[in-house]
Amino acid sequence: MLWAYLHFPHLLLDHIRRSRNGRDEANEENSKPALVVVDQSAQRVLQACPQAQAQGVQAGMRLKTAINLVPELAIAHADPGREQQILVEQARWLYRHVASIVLHPPDGLLVEVGSLEKLYGGLAAVWQTLEQALSERHLTAWMATGATPLAARLCARAGQGQCTADKVHMERHLHNLPLAAAGFDDRTLTRLQRLGLTQMGEVMTLPPAELARRLAPETLARVQKIQGSRPDPQQPWQPPHHFRQQADFVQDIERAEGLLFPLQRILTELEEDLCWRQQDTDSLLLVLTHRHHEPTRLRIRTSGPEHRAEAFLNLMRLRFEQHPLPAPVASLVLSVRRFLGREAAAGNDLLGETRDLNEAWHTLISRLQARLGNDALQQLSPQPDHRPERAWSASEVQRKPRPAISDLTSLPRRPLWLLNGPQALPEAPVAWYSGPERISGGWWDGQRVHRDYYIAGLSSGQLAWVFRDVRGGWFVHGWFG
Amino acid sequence: MSYAELYCFSNFTFLTGASHPYELAEQAAELGYRALAITDACSVAGIPRAWAALKDSPVKLITGSWFELENAPANGTPPQFILLARNRAGYGQLCQLITTGRRRAEKGQYRLFREDLETHPLEDCLCLWLPPLPANASYDEALASGEWLHWLFGDRLWLGASRTLESGEDHHLCRIGQLSSDLRCPITATGQVHMHSRERQPLQDVLTALRHNTSLEQAGRYLFQNGERYLRPLAVLQRLFPEAWLKESLAIAERCVFEPGSLRYEYPPDLVPEGESPVSFLHRLTREGERRRFPGGTPLTVQALIRKELALISEMKYEHYFLTIQDIVAFARSQGILCQGRGSAANSAVCYCLGITEVNPTKVDLLFERFISKDRNEPPDIDVDFEHERREEVIQYIYRRYSRERAALAATVVRYRPRSAIRDVGKALGFDSALVEQLLNGVDWRDKATDWRQQILDKRLTRNPRIADRFFTLVNTLLGFPRHLSQHVGGFVISAGPLAELVPVENAAMEGRTVIQWDKDDLESLGLMKVDVLALGMLSAIRKALELISEEKGQPFAMQDIPAEDPDTYAMLQQGDSIGVFQVESRAQINMLPRLKPETYYDLVIEVAIVRPGPIQGDMVHPYLRRKHGLEPVDYPNDEVRKVLERTLGVPIFQEQVIKLAMVAAGFSAGEADRLRRAMAAWKSHGDLTPFRDKLISGMLERGHDADFAERLYLQICGFGGYGFPESHAASFALLVYVSAWIKRHYPAAFYCALLNSQPMGFYSPSQLVQDARRHNVAVLPPDVNHSHWDHTLEGPTRQLRLGLRLIQGLSESGAERLHQYRPATGYRSTSELRRLASLNQRDMELLAGANAMPDFTSNRHQAYWQLLDHEQPTELFAEEAAAEYLPEHCHQLPEPTEGQSVLADYASQGLTLQRHPLALLREQGHLKFCLSAEQLKTTKAGIPVQVAGLVTGRQRPGTASGVTFVTLEDETGNVNVVVWLETARRQRKPLLTARLLHVKGVLERQGEIMHVMAGKLSDLSHLIRSLPVDSRNFH
Repeated sequence: MLWAYLHFPHLLLDHIRRSRNGRDEANEENSKPALVVVDQSAQRVLQACPQAQAQGVQAGMRLKTAINLVPELAIAHADPGREQQILVEQARWLYRHVASIVLHPPDGLLVEVGSLEKLYGGLAAVWQTLEQALSERHLTAWMATGATPLAARLCARAGQGQCTADKVHMERHLHNLPLAAAGFDDRTLTRLQRLGLTQMGEVMTLPPAELARRLAPETLARVQKIQGSRPDPQQPWQPPHHFRQQADFVQDIERAEGLLFPLQRILTELEEDLCWRQQDTDSLLLVLTHRHHEPTRLRIRTSGPEHRAEAFLNLMRLRFEQHPLPAPVASLVLSVRRFLGREAAAGNDLLGETRDLNEAWHTLISRLQARLGNDALQQLSPQPDHRPERAWSASEVQRKPRPAISDLTSLPRRPLWLLNGPQALPEAPVAWYSGPERISGGWWDGQRVHRDYYIAGLSSGQLAWVFRDVRGGWFVHGWFG
Repeated sequence: MSYAELYCFSNFTFLTGASHPYELAEQAAELGYRALAITDACSVAGIPRAWAALKDSPVKLITGSWFELENAPANGTPPQFILLARNRAGYGQLCQLITTGRRRAEKGQYRLFREDLETHPLEDCLCLWLPPLPANASYDEALASGEWLHWLFGDRLWLGASRTLESGEDHHLCRIGQLSSDLRCPITATGQVHMHSRERQPLQDVLTALRHNTSLEQAGRYLFQNGERYLRPLAVLQRLFPEAWLKESLAIAERCVFEPGSLRYEYPPDLVPEGESPVSFLHRLTREGERRRFPGGTPLTVQALIRKELALISEMKYEHYFLTIQDIVAFARSQGILCQGRGSAANSAVCYCLGITEVNPTKVDLLFERFISKDRNEPPDIDVDFEHERREEVIQYIYRRYSRERAALAATVVRYRPRSAIRDVGKALGFDSALVEQLLNGVDWRDKATDWRQQILDKRLTRNPRIADRFFTLVNTLLGFPRHLSQHVGGFVISAGPLAELVPVENAAMEGRTVIQWDKDDLESLGLMKVDVLALGMLSAIRKALELISEEKGQPFAMQDIPAEDPDTYAMLQQGDSIGVFQVESRAQINMLPRLKPETYYDLVIEVAIVRPGPIQGDMVHPYLRRKHGLEPVDYPNDEVRKVLERTLGVPIFQEQVIKLAMVAAGFSAGEADRLRRAMAAWKSHGDLTPFRDKLISGMLERGHDADFAERLYLQICGFGGYGFPESHAASFALLVYVSAWIKRHYPAAFYCALLNSQPMGFYSPSQLVQDARRHNVAVLPPDVNHSHWDHTLEGPTRQLRLGLRLIQGLSESGAERLHQYRPATGYRSTSELRRLASLNQRDMELLAGANAMPDFTSNRHQAYWQLLDHEQPTELFAEEAAAEYLPEHCHQLPEPTEGQSVLADYASQGLTLQRHPLALLREQGHLKFCLSAEQLKTTKAGIPVQVAGLVTGRQRPGTASGVTFVTLEDETGNVNVVVWLETARRQRKPLLTARLLHVKGVLERQGEIMHVMAGKLSDLSHLIRSLPVDSRNFH
């Protein structure tokens, strides 16, 4: 068996970099700010892009030091869950080229290449295919071959990439592997180093029985797995039956046009994926996340089965023209769960009976949405804010009913009919029933209010919720029944 | 119509109150309130500051505190209420209750229960009940709580009603009216004050968000609905409250007669034996001391001095204070703990006789009228330094002697500094934390011109310029706000009665420590006394060195046996050979010594004080040096100034001189000078010295001094701000400088041994000390299981320094003690014998092997490890093995350590090596071809381009040198000082900040003995020895 291992030294970094805006990658690359990925507590640099490295930033460095070196450093936070997803995205396209993939989260893929040599006409051809696929995707990967999964992995991670099926060659590489790169746990590594050992080869020459006795049986087991004298079974990865890709932005994207570039890349991936599956789809879900706003969920439906990136992109462009972005976008996820066979007649179940009949609620919501359009139907909920305009929110209807508000009595007294905005009152009210209630706040987001509210009767006999602002003008803000 | 505010949080209710006590006090006076109660949550920490602000105002300050109980009375809800102290007894009861609540909770918290109110006497406190909101309790529950309080307080209970103008207020007020008539209790108006002015609402919102650990955006209904919780003008109050409620507040205020200024320190009587008065006892102890200090009879001048001092002490009634210090010092002495007093009163003849100081009044001409200031009526100030490793014994003695009920540490108020304020306001405004850190790194704190606001916009923390303005304002307002109480480094308050009746006591973070709620400024403003028990590493080192010298001499040798004014010692210091010597071992001091050329004790006093921000910013250093070396005439504008400046050749050096000068040269009154002194002390936190500037400069010009001198004096005053260094302290420190320098000069082995045994302390790492020792011809031997103790020791008649096992990083002290205790007379013969006899665990064994500390039975580190990794424990059967059985198992596959590996392993295990310096190895390997060594530099001509390389042992950016970074490089022959200008540093940030082995191309500069390399090009050579764990002490 011959194994190849792909180690992505800065996967998240590559992922963010290629999500960046801009058409001419090559030219603009140098003008972009240096970028690093930091751990969740924002203390240490985990990954540094080439520009950052050129200015002295290294992985493992304290963020403080890095900022001292590059004051205008752009910073992204690490997120293990996200990294795992990005790795799966890579496995997905790799699966088109190779038969057996093993995931090594968070940053590696193991590939069985022995069986591919014939198919591609030699290892060099396999290698070339992989390298080209990587460079098309603007991904950095360190690759190496090995006689055992561990040997391939260690050589790749050490950055000693070699493409060879030659046993002697591989063995020599393994022998020269620095001990620190051999992936022993810290305690074992310290012990081996204290014995004066610096290379993998020196450990392999120690008598096995002594090694197990003086260090640990696990250490011997590891050495043997590397050498291949002990089995090391691998769990192959199965591609899931859905498509999902994500783009994350260092700097929020404010205009919809800015989203089209990363979307195009993802849609092209989708097209390739669909072609490879020999399938189509008619429904895409695009979720845009915002820093200070609920995520925007856009469902894009095609009129019939479709697989062309161009077609999807046009639909999205139209959608953005009709509905401007509610807030700057921090990241986007495009997913497809519904695949249609190319030959199968589409639309069989579009208007048919759904299986949700027993859920009257869902049916009602679905029907209303179908009749009135998704956006016409919203759900109200109270928001913790003193400003009446912001004390409630309307959001997309949740399929799961929200838990009831626990303490209704703690909510302030408000009219059921709150006007869309305050309306100036031409004459002062004639009767006062309650007040003043003073509301002053919101200075932090530029929507400052400073008002005295009253429940008052108007000359027309209506019971109104009115307020007076700092300038002394009267406004109606709501009606009581 | 007037009003008394009885419900008011200051910012000592942390993250709740948004105004300083003094702001509240001043605002209340401004608005014409008749009284103001500061009622922080279970605390009286804000009282002294409010009191200081209201001392001379018609507004009466009422002492109170706000409480919420943990549990509820039967059928009720946990009540919230305010207790006000009616009189001194009521104040004591309040403090006692606060102490109970605070002592049983974690630091910063309190827990009080219904039962506490039922058991604590509170008959001299008035209670304001704050009934719960309708949303939080039903009427019946509220009534039940009210009835319980009514049962406790009877006619001392009121219902507090506030007008916050929030939703549901009418309902709440209606309920209060009902409760009042059901309970037959009067209602009083209260303001629920959280800030002195409505303009603080944004800050109050920020604090609320921080308290709930969230951002303003997310804080929602945690925030108050409006900014009505401020000190309202009387006209507004009249509109909002019925007149009867306002009148009731005045009636309550009328009943509160307690005044914080009436608190008097009651001295513990314990120290005076039966049948003696404090006066006679102090006189007797002084006489006994005289006989000890002057066996040949007290000189007449000293006798006169003692008489004068004793008269002053008894006039001011300070006998107890001196007796208290004497008692603590006597205890330390009885335990062999070295100590030394300092401060204005410490360097007196009386203190010399009492053994509080070793500064001999006959040998040093100090001005003793500065001993206690009669005009200022401030308590005398004596700080006592103890050996840092044994100060805890002294603290425990104080607790034992006076009990924990009567002794506690003063608090230190930890306040918002620029960094923390920016961080917290940024968090509340929802800024990205990594970006905030980026901003913090970009801000040059010493560069006042840096426009933060612009930087905030540049860093895209926000794009809204109004938010940036807000941010800026909020940060500036938050600066100086208290964050929490911490323990003072060693200020003890000791009282006659239970301390908790004088001031509440709460828990400190440290186990078994308690602090009072006031800090040293509060104590000073109330005229209360504290005793400073401080820790000083050098005293430990001196005691250990004296013991080693005694051992060598075969007879006891103490500090007073050191001959005074030894010329060899001064000769050594004049060369700047002062590594390890107290106070004068820093780079700046080493440079100053050859310039100042100290020849007498008093020169050392000046040496200690001159390398400080005050004299440097006032540009007083060069004039003094010129005059000392006769390059400039010494003259005085008049006799009064001569009196102040004569001992420093007409140049002001000490803080006392500067204040005195303000009086004689600028016409400050005693009171003004005192205010100046206080402003200097407070300058760092929130003080402002500008009001004094005009007065000082115009006063000096009027009196014929030149403008330049006046301007410099003002700058010097600013320099003293926060770093004040008075002569009285310098005098005590100078004595320790002399003592440590004398030991270094005459007993170097003992000196370095004692210093190494007192680590961590001082400026230098053990590695640097060992290198310096070897340069002073002290033979140093490596740690060895068959020779070393835990501590470093001196071996044999040649006094070789044997490194102790304590140097091995991570080794357990108990393991090392057993190793020493069970060591056979012939020494250990094998690893297994060592393991068995000393019962060492695997970790300790491996650390010993890593230190190469078993040279007698292992050939090298690698083989030692190999042997240790065999886990089988020898069984008891083989306890009496024969020596023949100790054949070490040799593993032939293991490589021999190279010299480089050994050096690296030495550093990893001990942080130093006795083998060749890594730079010597690199030089030999040809890596440093054109580099000169530190030794070669000494004979190199100044002004020529040079190349140097060395391990970076220090990076320093002193506040007094504008933008210059000093880098210390160490090679096998010594240290090289590199000076990097700001522009050079900016361009070569990377090597400057990250290199551990640095190569510098530059120009050699020399001023007399002082030499440094002006850096041009820096390059990082760390890759040559990347894994060298050399300790670099960075100061940014």
